[in-house]
Amino acid sequence: MNSKVIRYVFGKVLIIEGALLLLPVLTAIIYHESEGFIYLAVALSSALMGLLFSLKKPDDYVFYFKDGCFMTALCWVVLSLIGALPFYFTGEIPFFIDALFETISGFTTTGASILPHVEALSHCSLLWRSFTHWIGGMGVLVFLLAIIPMNGGSHMNLMRAESPGPSVGKLVPKAHETAKILYLIYIGLTVGEFLLLIIGRMPIFDATCISFGTAGTGGFGVRSDSLLSYSPYIQWVVTIFMILFGVNFNAYFFIIFGKFKKALSMEEVKTYIAIIIGAVAILMIDVLHICGNFFTALRHSSFTVASIMTTTGYATLDFNTWSVTSRFILVCLMFMGACAGSTGGGIKVSRFIILLKTVKKELLYYLHPKSIKKIKIDDHPVEHEVVRSTDVYFITFVIIFSASLFLISFDGKDLVTSFTAVAATINNIGPGLEMVGPTGNYMLFSPFSKIILMIDMLAGRLELFPLLLLFYPLMWKDLFFSTLRENRKQKKNTRIQ
Amino acid sequence: MLRKKKEEGFKIIIVGCGKVGVTLVDQLSKEGHDITVIDKDASIVNDVSGAYDVMGYTGNGASFTTLVEAGVTNADLLIAVTTSDELNLLCCTLAKQVGDCATIARVRTPDYSKETNYLREKLGLAMIINPELEAALETASILALPNALEVNAFAHGQATLVKFRIPEDSAIAGRTIAQVGQSLKSNIIFCAIERDKEVYIPAGQFTLQTGDVVSYVSNRRNASTFLTEIGYKSNKVKDTMIIGGGKGAYYLAEQLIAMGIKVKIIETNKARCEELSLLLPKAIIINGDGIDQELLRAEGLQTVEAFVPLTGIDEVNVLLTLHAKNASNAKVITKINKINYNEVLDSLNLGSVIYPKFITSEAIVAYVRARQNSGNSSNIETLYHMFDSRVEAIEFKVDADSSITGTKLKELRLKPDVLVSFISRNGRIIIPTGSDTIEKGDTVMIVTKNAGFTDIQDILN
Repeated sequence: MNSKVIRYVFGKVLIIEGALLLLPVLTAIIYHESEGFIYLAVALSSALMGLLFSLKKPDDYVFYFKDGCFMTALCWVVLSLIGALPFYFTGEIPFFIDALFETISGFTTTGASILPHVEALSHCSLLWRSFTHWIGGMGVLVFLLAIIPMNGGSHMNLMRAESPGPSVGKLVPKAHETAKILYLIYIGLTVGEFLLLIIGRMPIFDATCISFGTAGTGGFGVRSDSLLSYSPYIQWVVTIFMILFGVNFNAYFFIIFGKFKKALSMEEVKTYIAIIIGAVAILMIDVLHICGNFFTALRHSSFTVASIMTTTGYATLDFNTWSVTSRFILVCLMFMGACAGSTGGGIKVSRFIILLKTVKKELLYYLHPKSIKKIKIDDHPVEHEVVRSTDVYFITFVIIFSASLFLISFDGKDLVTSFTAVAATINNIGPGLEMVGPTGNYMLFSPFSKIILMIDMLAGRLELFPLLLLFYPLMWKDLFFSTLRENRKQKKNTRIQ
Repeated sequence: MLRKKKEEGFKIIIVGCGKVGVTLVDQLSKEGHDITVIDKDASIVNDVSGAYDVMGYTGNGASFTTLVEAGVTNADLLIAVTTSDELNLLCCTLAKQVGDCATIARVRTPDYSKETNYLREKLGLAMIINPELEAALETASILALPNALEVNAFAHGQATLVKFRIPEDSAIAGRTIAQVGQSLKSNIIFCAIERDKEVYIPAGQFTLQTGDVVSYVSNRRNASTFLTEIGYKSNKVKDTMIIGGGKGAYYLAEQLIAMGIKVKIIETNKARCEELSLLLPKAIIINGDGIDQELLRAEGLQTVEAFVPLTGIDEVNVLLTLHAKNASNAKVITKINKINYNEVLDSLNLGSVIYPKFITSEAIVAYVRARQNSGNSSNIETLYHMFDSRVEAIEFKVDADSSITGTKLKELRLKPDVLVSFISRNGRIIIPTGSDTIEKGDTVMIVTKNAGFTDIQDILN
């Protein structure tokens, strides 16, 4: 294990977090809020700590996939711990566990809140909450790759660990360039939404926060009623951008380079759009009863479907009151999630495509036991490794889900609340049903349950395995001993000289 | 890191991820190029794109669809190094038609070796490389100067770079570079010295020791006189025994016979023996197992002056080398096709070792660098890697006046570990002293431990 690179990257991530924390400081200056000093203090200490860690450059930049996963998980945990400090020190969230829950919910783009009245927060805290969505959406380490070119070919191991999807590929030969392109698309779309919201006469502050929340498919709003009180135009803009951010970013890459045909023929994107249209159609029947007006019903149902499917979690209506069928569809969409390679969470459409094709292949196998059939996506054969890891991913997902549900059940909440609470956190959505529905929040859970849900959020965002590695004692032993061995080797070398 | 950041690399497609392919990926990705690799085997593509910062495609490199998908339309260079010569040529021809990029093909079969220039011109390739032939040429030049470990030619063969190990009781051991330089008549310059796995670019105060591996540059005539002067015999060998009758053996035998050296080839395959006897009428072809100790003795291993194991298996080559060193006084040259155990090989004290895959990648890297700099004031003519790529010898062409021209060498503020080893002016080789200058139109050879020099200006601090 290359502990030196881990330390170095770790330091760089802390510096980046320090820099990112300056945005809420700026907000505090604009709104003359004293909380800004706390953000500034946290930012400076984070950057200082990062400088200390990354002072000594490693002489060898080679690291392996396991190191990349380990590094990613560790960075995310520490990132959240530091990000929670301002909430705690300003006293806006009095318990550290709650502050941490809110921050992890932010970074993992979940949007599950423990705050009953978000209006009570200062502007800078509100902005930081939404900004964590934006940072977490595309990933911190991808950001690191985009701004700091590292030598050696190992960066792919970082990107693979942080980016969602069954198989992570590059857009262009260099990882550094790929990360840059991804972030440019990301920033471009965010700015586009921001401008359209401003045109809709949304206050600049709200537009900024909502754009951040949509881009990362997070879901933190600036009002307790989420997006209900905004104009229909704004709701439509947010709907469209939620869907856009749930699309595999490869599609945008193709569009930029004029390969429209290739972008439109991506099987995952086509399926994703089809599911959205289907779900909206079914929900319409239900929502028509409530609203009466066709266009209002269309607006609310598309907004809800987009919000849940892309795992954003904004709401315009309390879907708690809808029929069982509608609610069941929403729960299904929660697990389905957005496309791989987007900022959304969930199990991902492409994984479901692979799983369904595996089932079809198995059926064929029953009919013709000696038949050979390769699973294909976009006319490219899916490697056996990818199919296998998708299967294992699904099983692991079910196991973690069940275990979390069991541990949460000790709180004694009803099954729907507990079930959707776990579903909404592990899939990075935010609101669930019943007590954790769009109008409710996660305050009512015990600290123990909150910790479980935090682990679920991180596991969901990092695609389970990197986080599981953190709980694997051998990794820590490996890290510890490799550091020890390095030191001993250095001593030995100096003695020889 | 050592190298400076470059503006933009080339878009390079490499077809075939064998030994040479991977060595090229390693070299070229270090230089900052955008590399895409194509191979038929998905697992190899996975390995390569995991280990290096490159993009991988699985497919047939000679297929139009695959090439377009890999981005041949925007590529600057395509290098085809699959196992098949014909596929390589087809691949390059197609890429030339589709993408109008420069193309390099590896062609190894002796059938084509005489026609490479014709093929290159007619098919519009930038370069055809033949690693087996290059390796054979290098082997032959070592056998001409057998006491050296390595011999390379520069400036179209006018300057020679020789690598040798200082023997025990040598006159130059224990003396500094400056002292040796004063006492000698022949004009040479020491470029690099390897001691205890560490490479030094020596200054005047550097003291030579027994066992040091020394590289020096001189003009061609002085190369052997220097060795004689320090009491080092450099007689050309009279006969050579080659084990294995592959392509490499054929190329080598052809070279050696042309130089007037007798050749004996031992090959197991009867049919191949007959083929060789037709191709090389002057050589003695023995049909038998080269690993058979008795056969080697019967064929006169004890008395032969040079021994070159060229079987397809590196391990066998190394073993045969060790055996030959033990059983005879022959000059032994070992060919290693895929190395991963450099340190072990070094400790075995094999003597001269030839790596065909490095010869290939060096030639291509030199070409890429030269092309990349074609718009600038200086050009790279050739580039050699010495001491496992830890030291580079680069030949720069100085096309225009700059801060480096017209100033005495001792007054230039050079980077550490940089040495100007010779200046070629109007076809004459100058082994420089501190008072010589670099002028416009010169070709200058720089020896350095820093990788990634692309311009003569890079040597300045």
